[in-house]
Amino acid sequence: MMLWILLAFLTAAVAAALLIPLLRGNAIAAGEGHASGHAGDIEVYRDQLKEIERDREQGLIEAEQAEYARAEVGRRLLAAAALKDGEVQAGSTRRKHGLATAIVTILPPAIGLCLYIMLGSPGLPDQPLEARLAAPGNDIALLVTKAERHLAENPSDGAGWDLLGPIYMRMQRPGDAELAYRNAIRLIGPSAARLTGLGEALMTLSDGVITEDARTSFEAALKLEPDDTRARFYVALGLEQAGKAPEALAAFEDIAKNSPADAPWMPLLSQHIAKNGGAPLAAAAPENGSGAGRAPGGPSQEDVAAAENLSQGDRQQMIRGMVDSLAARLKEEPNNLDGWLRLVRSYAVLGEKDKAGEALNQGLVQFSADANGKSQLLALAGEVGLTAQVQNPAEGAKQ
Amino acid sequence: MTRKQKRLTVILGGMSFIMVAVLLVMFAFSQSVAYFFMPADLAKTDVQPGTRIRLGGLVAEGSVKRGQGSTVSFTVTDGTGNVPVTYTGILPDLFREGQGVVTEGAFDVSHKFVADSVLAKHDEKYMPKEVADRLKKDGVWEDGSGKGMAQGTNKADGQGVIKQ
Amino acid sequence: MIVELGHYALVLALATALIVSILPMIGARRGDVALMTLGTTGSIALFLLVALSFGALTWAYVVSDFSVNNVWENSHSMMPLIYKYSGVWGNHEGSMMLWLLILTLFSALVAVFGRNLPETLKANVLGVQAWIASAFLFFILLTSNPFLRLNPAPAEGQDLNPVLQDLGLAVHPPLLYLGYVGFSVCFSFAVAALIEGRIDAAWARWVRPWTLAAWTFLTAGIAMGSYWAYYELGWGGWWFWDPVENASFMPWLAGTALLHSALVMEKREALKIWTVLLAIMTFSLSLLGTFLVRSGVLTSVHSFATDPTRGIFILCILALFIGGAFSLFAWRAPMLKAGGLFAPISREGGLVLNNLILTVATATVLTGTLYPLVLETLTGEKISVGAPFFNMTFGLLMLPLLIAVPFGPMLAWKRGDLLGALQRIYVFAALALAAGFVFAYLKGGGPILSIFGLALGFWGMFGAIADLWYRGNFGKLKFSVAFRRLAGLPRSAFGTAIAHFGLGVTVLGIFAATTFGTETVVDMKQGATVNAGGYQVTFDGMKDAAGPNYTEQRAHFTVREGGAVISDVWSSKRLYTARRMPTTEAGILTMALSQLYVSLGDPIDGGGMVVRIWWKPFILCIWGGALVMMFGGFVSLSDRRLRVGAPNRKAKAVKAAKPVMEPAE
Repeated sequence: MMLWILLAFLTAAVAAALLIPLLRGNAIAAGEGHASGHAGDIEVYRDQLKEIERDREQGLIEAEQAEYARAEVGRRLLAAAALKDGEVQAGSTRRKHGLATAIVTILPPAIGLCLYIMLGSPGLPDQPLEARLAAPGNDIALLVTKAERHLAENPSDGAGWDLLGPIYMRMQRPGDAELAYRNAIRLIGPSAARLTGLGEALMTLSDGVITEDARTSFEAALKLEPDDTRARFYVALGLEQAGKAPEALAAFEDIAKNSPADAPWMPLLSQHIAKNGGAPLAAAAPENGSGAGRAPGGPSQEDVAAAENLSQGDRQQMIRGMVDSLAARLKEEPNNLDGWLRLVRSYAVLGEKDKAGEALNQGLVQFSADANGKSQLLALAGEVGLTAQVQNPAEGAKQ
Repeated sequence: MTRKQKRLTVILGGMSFIMVAVLLVMFAFSQSVAYFFMPADLAKTDVQPGTRIRLGGLVAEGSVKRGQGSTVSFTVTDGTGNVPVTYTGILPDLFREGQGVVTEGAFDVSHKFVADSVLAKHDEKYMPKEVADRLKKDGVWEDGSGKGMAQGTNKADGQGVIKQ
Repeated sequence: MIVELGHYALVLALATALIVSILPMIGARRGDVALMTLGTTGSIALFLLVALSFGALTWAYVVSDFSVNNVWENSHSMMPLIYKYSGVWGNHEGSMMLWLLILTLFSALVAVFGRNLPETLKANVLGVQAWIASAFLFFILLTSNPFLRLNPAPAEGQDLNPVLQDLGLAVHPPLLYLGYVGFSVCFSFAVAALIEGRIDAAWARWVRPWTLAAWTFLTAGIAMGSYWAYYELGWGGWWFWDPVENASFMPWLAGTALLHSALVMEKREALKIWTVLLAIMTFSLSLLGTFLVRSGVLTSVHSFATDPTRGIFILCILALFIGGAFSLFAWRAPMLKAGGLFAPISREGGLVLNNLILTVATATVLTGTLYPLVLETLTGEKISVGAPFFNMTFGLLMLPLLIAVPFGPMLAWKRGDLLGALQRIYVFAALALAAGFVFAYLKGGGPILSIFGLALGFWGMFGAIADLWYRGNFGKLKFSVAFRRLAGLPRSAFGTAIAHFGLGVTVLGIFAATTFGTETVVDMKQGATVNAGGYQVTFDGMKDAAGPNYTEQRAHFTVREGGAVISDVWSSKRLYTARRMPTTEAGILTMALSQLYVSLGDPIDGGGMVVRIWWKPFILCIWGGALVMMFGGFVSLSDRRLRVGAPNRKAKAVKAAKPVMEPAE
């Protein structure tokens, strides 16, 4: 309400300011003799005459030229003076400003209200950050900001960083989470939870790919606590991503064996086991096969997925860059089984069946003498649905 | 001189100055304009070694190698073609693998691109315009996330879309 | 509530601007004083409303009200307070607000200090100003509204682009806009004169202080921007011929031409039509600059925010104002009476030459800037026009101007004596040439062309001194008499000499820095030493540090000269945490007018860093010269004769605007 009163007041003030000249317009006209162009002209011409004099003194203009110039200016001066005298008599007549008054009274409130109601948010109060921080309620974001401020002042508060790490992850701020976990580890020492968290943050930062750093972190966590399901899951996932299906399968099955049968992450595990060529777990058939399960030990898998969705475009682009450089590298040093496996999988992920097939063929040619390599490639081909194309590797190579 | 002659002198002088300027501009254009290419274009067109061009694209993942001293080599890619580039000097702050770049330089005789300037703009959302246009056209690249937030009228889901 | 009040004030400003753009002009046509007076009160009210709105936005920034989308996108609660203020105009919406604020400020200044203007002229000028304001108000409200809200509000902002977190940004855009937008007044005067169909002799004198003020601010703004890019971007360059730099440079060139042609018009009533055209062109170039920067049609290091709808909107404004003004010009200009006669060799002739060269140079820069855009639209081919093009064309075209500058003030009005001027000035020319050779000799020689470049710089400086010398007639008269004559000269004469002197200083700086500067790129391990510009720079090692909203790795360097330590330099790589964006902070050591510039590259395998060291002798002359030019502008502005019609009235626009200048540099 207060706002509307102020707005009304402002509108009235503007309209009034604009109305004043209209209301006392005739008084002004009668009172002040207003400046006219000719008065200005006369003064300029006088100055010009003075200037010519000064220039002549300084030798900047010759006497003869100065005489001409003076005559030129003098003529204009006389003309201007004549015009000015003629002008003084012309008085202003009394005028009515009905229409103008109407415009000035109506336009500001009309435009003001229409546009403002269209664009503004009159119901929304100011929200200075200090005031909001003073009464944060249960707004997580605000609480985090408060914690951040506290940590900015006491950067060596390890427990604070430790607390903030998982929260950052949940807020999809993996970069900050990485920083928080690293600080916590530096200040109050490593723990399985912190190391796993750090690994997760690193993984999220690289769009779900378990990088070298992330893997090191998970493995360090396992050293501290060999039974940490979460860390084990990610290590297994890392194996899967590296194309080591048998090892990954073994690792996933191992986790499944050591987990209670009704653990919430069972469906996810089952899915990965199936993906790596194992038999799906009987206890937990995949519900709908699309990552509906939860990662062991926390909600982070969902967040990872969400983050992935957020930057779908960027991720696609990144994968593309990686794939290209991988393909280039394999041309130079083709004796790299993992590389071929990854390339085939990547093309399959990108939906480029032709290229995937091509890469598969090249790989098969390369490893035609290597039974293990061949079978791995063929297994992968089966998984990504390329079987139909490559019944006979030798033939494929000839094409 | 008569008044007319005077005026003619002034006009002729002015015109000749303008002519000189026009010729100069045309000469300078022929000398120093660099055309913009992406790796895929280079497969189609033949660029002579020594001709200055601008080469744009993404820095291929895993391609950045530091050689002798401050010489860096990397590959510029656009999804279809790859061009190896060498550059001596300091790379911009935002030069990263997977990011867009525009390099300026020329091919040497062995058909390696030697860049003398590398641009990666100082905005983290930056994608060089030429590169972005093309990649968008090819469907490789989409506008960054969080665009929907820019209007801010989206009151319902303010909290949910905090962008990193 | 404050934010919403600010939003409403902006909407109300639009209503006011619409009223002021119509009624006073009708009043001017009908000779209705009351309606014309409405222009005065309306313009003041308009300024107050926009100021209120701008103040509300600033308040939202200062208290970090993240319910305002614009604040959330461009601020951070932990940012130092000064950047919360400067962050207001560090983004698209805010910078348009600043544009508008300055535009309405100029309108209000015309309204308040233009009492001696003819009523009709004043009403028309304010009307045209209000048209521009209305167009930009529409633009801001409909496409770039800074007052849009977020609900619920985020807890933390996204931080200001780190490159913009710098004192340079706090000062550079306001100065630049004071210049850019200041030319709107000249434009409005020109359009008003065309509407009235006549130009008084006093017109040039009314326009000149505004031109001078805008030119002075623009000079300062460009110099400031150049220095900012020099130390902030870490590339060691001070001018990149970047489209955005060109966008501010073109109005400056045209404005410089306008300054000189207005002089001819005031003193001699010649070049009337040309001056009007130039006034329109100058502001058109300002608008074009705004369009180029804000629409992002050109690839540039500056375009932070780009949005096609905005580009089209500005393009429409551009077409409307430039097209409208030029059509009006084509229709009305033939009615204007031509003025005084002059010989080709005369002061007027000199100023015409100045105008010719400056406009051609402007056209060259414009061609180079727009050619890629035009070519891409027509053929789809993408090209880039870089520094070599501009150096070749612009540099060569400016040479005759730089040579001619000292002659100008020596020539008489109407009919000059070139031989006489030569006779007077040849001593100074010889001195300049000698100074160039001595300078190059002391620095260990250089190519003959750069020696002439150096001499050209000295020529500019000595020529300005010669101007004052002969005006006082030192040498012929007794010193005391000559000095009295000198003291009796109008201030504008001093302003001219000072500004020309500054031009010489800048030219000297450019040639000295490019001729004698060195650049070294090396890998430095800890303890390594490199020679640069006669100094030995030792890399002592790296250190981690943290700022309020960034972490940094700082490298320490010790600078020695002949074995003795003279100073040390810190250079760093920063990571701004909120945006996870790295920047390079160059370490700069200033020694008299020269600088040693140390910039960090990437770390190299096995420890150590790639380091880039520039030795930039006399580089400060480049910006110092611009400061001197600016000072010349102010001296000229303080000339009483610029206040037409009211010699007894104190305090001009200029005085009021002066304090704004202080923070420069």
